[in-house]
Amino acid sequence: MDYSNPEIPEGINTSKEHPLKEFVLLSAGVLGLIFAAVLVLGILADKLAHFIPFSVEQSIATDRFSKADTSLPIEKYLNDLARRIVAAQELPEGMTVTVHYVDEDTVNAFATLGGNILMFRGLLAQLDNENALAMVLAHEVAHIKHRHPIRSAGRGVVIGLALSMVSSSLGNAMVDTVLGQAGQVTVLSFSRDHEKESDQTALDTLVKLYGHVEGATDLFQVLKKQEKISVMPEFYSSHPLTDKRLQKIAEFGSRLGNSSEKEKTQLPAGYSDWLKQKEQAGEPE
Amino acid sequence: MIDLIIFLTLLALGYGFGRYAESRHYKSIIEREKLLRRIPAVAQKFPPVTTKPYRAELVTGSVVISVDYFKRFLSGLRNIIGGRVKAYETLLDRARREAVLRMKEQADELGADMVFNIKLETSSIFKGQKNSVGSVEVLAYGTALIP
Repeated sequence: MDYSNPEIPEGINTSKEHPLKEFVLLSAGVLGLIFAAVLVLGILADKLAHFIPFSVEQSIATDRFSKADTSLPIEKYLNDLARRIVAAQELPEGMTVTVHYVDEDTVNAFATLGGNILMFRGLLAQLDNENALAMVLAHEVAHIKHRHPIRSAGRGVVIGLALSMVSSSLGNAMVDTVLGQAGQVTVLSFSRDHEKESDQTALDTLVKLYGHVEGATDLFQVLKKQEKISVMPEFYSSHPLTDKRLQKIAEFGSRLGNSSEKEKTQLPAGYSDWLKQKEQAGEPE
Repeated sequence: MIDLIIFLTLLALGYGFGRYAESRHYKSIIEREKLLRRIPAVAQKFPPVTTKPYRAELVTGSVVISVDYFKRFLSGLRNIIGGRVKAYETLLDRARREAVLRMKEQADELGADMVFNIKLETSSIFKGQKNSVGSVEVLAYGTALIP
């Protein structure tokens, strides 16, 4: 008997297809699926969140937030301004807004569950007129008006749950990471939509309060200064790009185009002292 | 963001190095297979009937090949929708052929005429995070007939 190992043609046990082709097809398909699923879940959660009464939101938040301390001049002033904004935005019955002053350097302000708004000293110290401050506050009140905090929270829970269920059954750490990131990017697009909506409402409020939108851009100039350190691409950030927001305001302003007086309202005398007072009081020395 | 950059870098590195190593390996496999074609390796259980006196000796060849980052990711995606895991097919094909080649090289050194009763064993010797395959070992062994 004769034995031999003849030359066997290549490609019987392997595929000639380019691996990059498979990679592109697979990742496009899987990522597309995840985007679609997160989008659908997000929209559903968003729609359902509207049915959660505001009082439930308030009861969740009461443990975390005290009542506004009106003995502090800054907090009293912010809450008074917020009241005017609430009236201008015509918040529904039962929806209350409480502004809390936070004595920290962080340049930020945000609205959270139960109508609570946190304003940080770092941001307040950089605003030099009431219009700019009103823009910030009106933006945050708009978040509450549109119920963004509870909608984001509801969506976060639903999408987080879905993604973790999928990833735990996958058992592949890498694919896990990618799915998580894809979900996050989709969630961020919702967040940007909220910011855009709030910017628009805030501008309308400024027009109602002052008759013009002068000073609205001041906030974004402050933000731009901050951004010099690092700028994320838009798809990866929770807010629209500052330049885009500035552009929107400019467009809105030019559409408004009224020739009425566009003077910025001054901050009340002693505003900077109020910030300092708390600052000093906060220090033990 | 930084996660994504690291991930894409690893993916690109995995792809680049993996592709390079694979094409080099295949080239060497095909070349050495030609050289060792004079020693047939067959799966037949019993030695051929012959009057020639032969000495029989065990020959083995084993190889461990690691999956690259790119292949691992590709197979992870494949796990979701199913189908041929092409990324691993080339990996195992290389490992099997390399193991047989090493076995034949050993037989060649012994001056064997042929190797019969060859067997192949495959195992994943390292399970990485969450049981994903890390590297694969293939062992080929058989009985060499030395005149």
